[in-house]
Amino acid sequence: MSGDQIHPVPTGFLRRHVFSTDHKVIARQFMWVGFLGLFLGGVMAMMIRWQLAHPGEPFPLLGMLFWPSSGGAIPPDAYNTLFTMHGTIMIFVGLTPLLIGAWGNFCIPLMIGARDMIFPTLNMLSFWTLFLGVGVAVYSLFVPLGAAEGGWTAYPTLSSNIGTPGDGETLWAISIFLIGASSIMGGINYITTIVRLRAPGMTWGRLPLTVWGLFFTSVLNVLFLPVIGSAMILMVLDRVFGTSFYIPATMAQGGGGDPILYQHLFWIFGHPEVYILILPAWGIVGDLLSFFSRKPAFGYRVTVGALAAVTILSAVVYGHHMFTTGLTAMLGESFMLLTFIISVPGEILFFNWLHTLWRGDLRLTSAMLFSMGVIFVFGLGGLTGIYLATISTDIYLHDTYFVVGHFHLTMAASSLFGAFAGCYFWYPKLYGRMLDERLGKLHFWATFLPLTFVFCAMFFSGYGGMPRRYFDHTDNPYTNELQWINELTSTAAFILGAAQLLFVVNVLKTIRSGAKAPQNPWEVGTLEWTAASPPPHHNFDTIPVVLTGPHEFSNPAIRGGKDWIYQTEPLSG
Amino acid sequence: MSPIRSRRARTALATLAALAALALAPATSAQQVVDRWRPNPPASSYGQRFDDLFLLITVLIGVSFAIVLVLLIVPVVRDRARPGHKASFDHGSSLHDKRFTAVVSVTVFIVLDAWVLVVAMKDLREGYWNMPRPDTPDVLRVEVLAQQWSWNFRTPGSDGELGTPDDVLSINQLTVPQDRPVALNVTSKDVIHSLFVPDMRVKRDANPGAINVAWFQPIKAGDFQILCAELCGYAHYQMHGKLHVLPAAQYDAWEQEASAIALAEHDPNDAEARWAWDFKE
Repeated sequence: MSGDQIHPVPTGFLRRHVFSTDHKVIARQFMWVGFLGLFLGGVMAMMIRWQLAHPGEPFPLLGMLFWPSSGGAIPPDAYNTLFTMHGTIMIFVGLTPLLIGAWGNFCIPLMIGARDMIFPTLNMLSFWTLFLGVGVAVYSLFVPLGAAEGGWTAYPTLSSNIGTPGDGETLWAISIFLIGASSIMGGINYITTIVRLRAPGMTWGRLPLTVWGLFFTSVLNVLFLPVIGSAMILMVLDRVFGTSFYIPATMAQGGGGDPILYQHLFWIFGHPEVYILILPAWGIVGDLLSFFSRKPAFGYRVTVGALAAVTILSAVVYGHHMFTTGLTAMLGESFMLLTFIISVPGEILFFNWLHTLWRGDLRLTSAMLFSMGVIFVFGLGGLTGIYLATISTDIYLHDTYFVVGHFHLTMAASSLFGAFAGCYFWYPKLYGRMLDERLGKLHFWATFLPLTFVFCAMFFSGYGGMPRRYFDHTDNPYTNELQWINELTSTAAFILGAAQLLFVVNVLKTIRSGAKAPQNPWEVGTLEWTAASPPPHHNFDTIPVVLTGPHEFSNPAIRGGKDWIYQTEPLSG
Repeated sequence: MSPIRSRRARTALATLAALAALALAPATSAQQVVDRWRPNPPASSYGQRFDDLFLLITVLIGVSFAIVLVLLIVPVVRDRARPGHKASFDHGSSLHDKRFTAVVSVTVFIVLDAWVLVVAMKDLREGYWNMPRPDTPDVLRVEVLAQQWSWNFRTPGSDGELGTPDDVLSINQLTVPQDRPVALNVTSKDVIHSLFVPDMRVKRDANPGAINVAWFQPIKAGDFQILCAELCGYAHYQMHGKLHVLPAAQYDAWEQEASAIALAEHDPNDAEARWAWDFKE
């Protein structure tokens, strides 16, 4: 096998850098799309927070550009578009490409000892389908009668022609369909690659946890993205071809459909989607905590089992999003019980992570800080989930800022921290240059502190009874009493937004004058670090033979004063 | 203490201080008063159940998170990498470790999850799901029709029957008696809305094409905020109303007067005003 390549090194510029089938190039493409998505979604978040803290005041600098007719102030329909597209872009254009597209593509072949993905062309198609989907989403912002305004959940009949007559909502549905198709292609590719292309000796019990996380995510992608895809097809049929899948007979336009059907379809996908985003982050964190504690990942097999349990259970808890919709008592209680059960594997993961840190030799690099940040923010977010899983407390808290704080800590902040941890960790391997560690640590603290403040403050405003998706909370006396929390939250949110410039500066500085990365700067043993930084086109000159697990840190059997070995080295050597 | 570590500490402290200063600056400069950071005391019979369970969960997860924090911070302080320091070697894969994990999981499930679950089921059965039945006496039945962007309410009037000419119709104002169960039938004309009365601790979606049920029993008189909790378009934020709870005697007088006006102004040809549907259990 030595020297064999799945495909030859391409020579033309287009084939090398644009329409490349090399998983490393595609990973970079996904990464930049992901950062673009985070930037767009982030700017939208700033606008949302501005409106909430200063309702009716012109948005500084950009306001006159976007909304000259209102003197730079954000109009209510534009506000609805902002939070709709903030959610959509952050999930589908920001975090999904970054965590699954970039780190999935980059890590899977390198960590399992393969030369590329098993279907390189499908891989390329996956990226360009996503790209098309992103294009449609961005284009939808500029169409007549306005962009999507139905929230990222887009419940009919608000997302039907009755509620949002513009083409934006239709294009939104098409874009979700395309991005979903891209994820399905990626999922098929990842699963097949992990099953078929593991290097000799890379048993399932020696897979890095990162690969396990991506494997389970891919399973969920392949199973549940088709569900949202079909929901989107029905929506487009309703909107464009006059069908009434979601429109009830009681309405003039109706023909016997049911808007609740959409909620079921959406959340059958929507709840696994939360785990689609968090599982790769959990995998990365499981590995990095071990790498930088210089200790084996505690209870590796139990961790993998817990990840598998979360994957399975994630499919049967979705009803907890619909407690106020009108589920029967029996159905509601079943979903409540199942939701409580999913907290058990989650708690086991925490237990194992904290146990991994215990009596380690902690190297608090930026990647490690972000990994530990995941424990903190997911701890807060996961525990506050108990209020929302409990029907009798959820009835009050549903659709308030409490929910917003909760899912931002769990799904958004935890996956974001996981993505950043991966970025600080693998950037040297990806581009061959080290990111600045001091700026990285500053970036962590400047992100972590305001972020925690922002989403914890939302727990208070939500508990106080402030509904989400309100254009102006000062419009009624009840939520006006909570406006002071909005103002504090927004101030912290602006700091959080500005702090991300530290990361931009870091990347720019690294591109210009970053230190050349050694082959293995972090002294860890997984296979990607046996390749050069950045790895050559074919990754490995000879396919590695794996002899040990990924986490043999501080093993007394290791000789030569090191506390680690490559997975290709024997333990007793 | 190494210079790196102190620099790190300084950075963290400076960030923290800057954050605190910036966060507090607008609050103090605008001389704002902390109006409220939690809901008003419950005004419905089962409202206290929400507050009690919320407190119980807060205590339970507070303790849990404190344990997580300790387990996170102790290694950071004690096990920081330094020359001569070594990590212990432990795969955590022994039978003993697995048993320990199992015991911790079961304990957490019982203490945290099962406890909350049991209380919640009891609360639901005795509270939110203990809906008034057809034979429950003294129930005020209300039909709620949501539309973009207002609430239409219909109460039976003095004859106690819905769908008769003396029904009291109102927009964004609902008047109900104190200490009597109020049964709500909620639906919508156009998009999904959600009736939210925070002080009563009640919320129910208004779905077009289906009738949703909810109930509450006010225990104090006064005016309470009605909000829409489900995104319903352009003026979602303006879709609010007032719930007026009157003491029984006052309510009866109000009902008689309102019913008389309704009867006098009743126009059988006004289709718009005649929305109503059969009460379904």
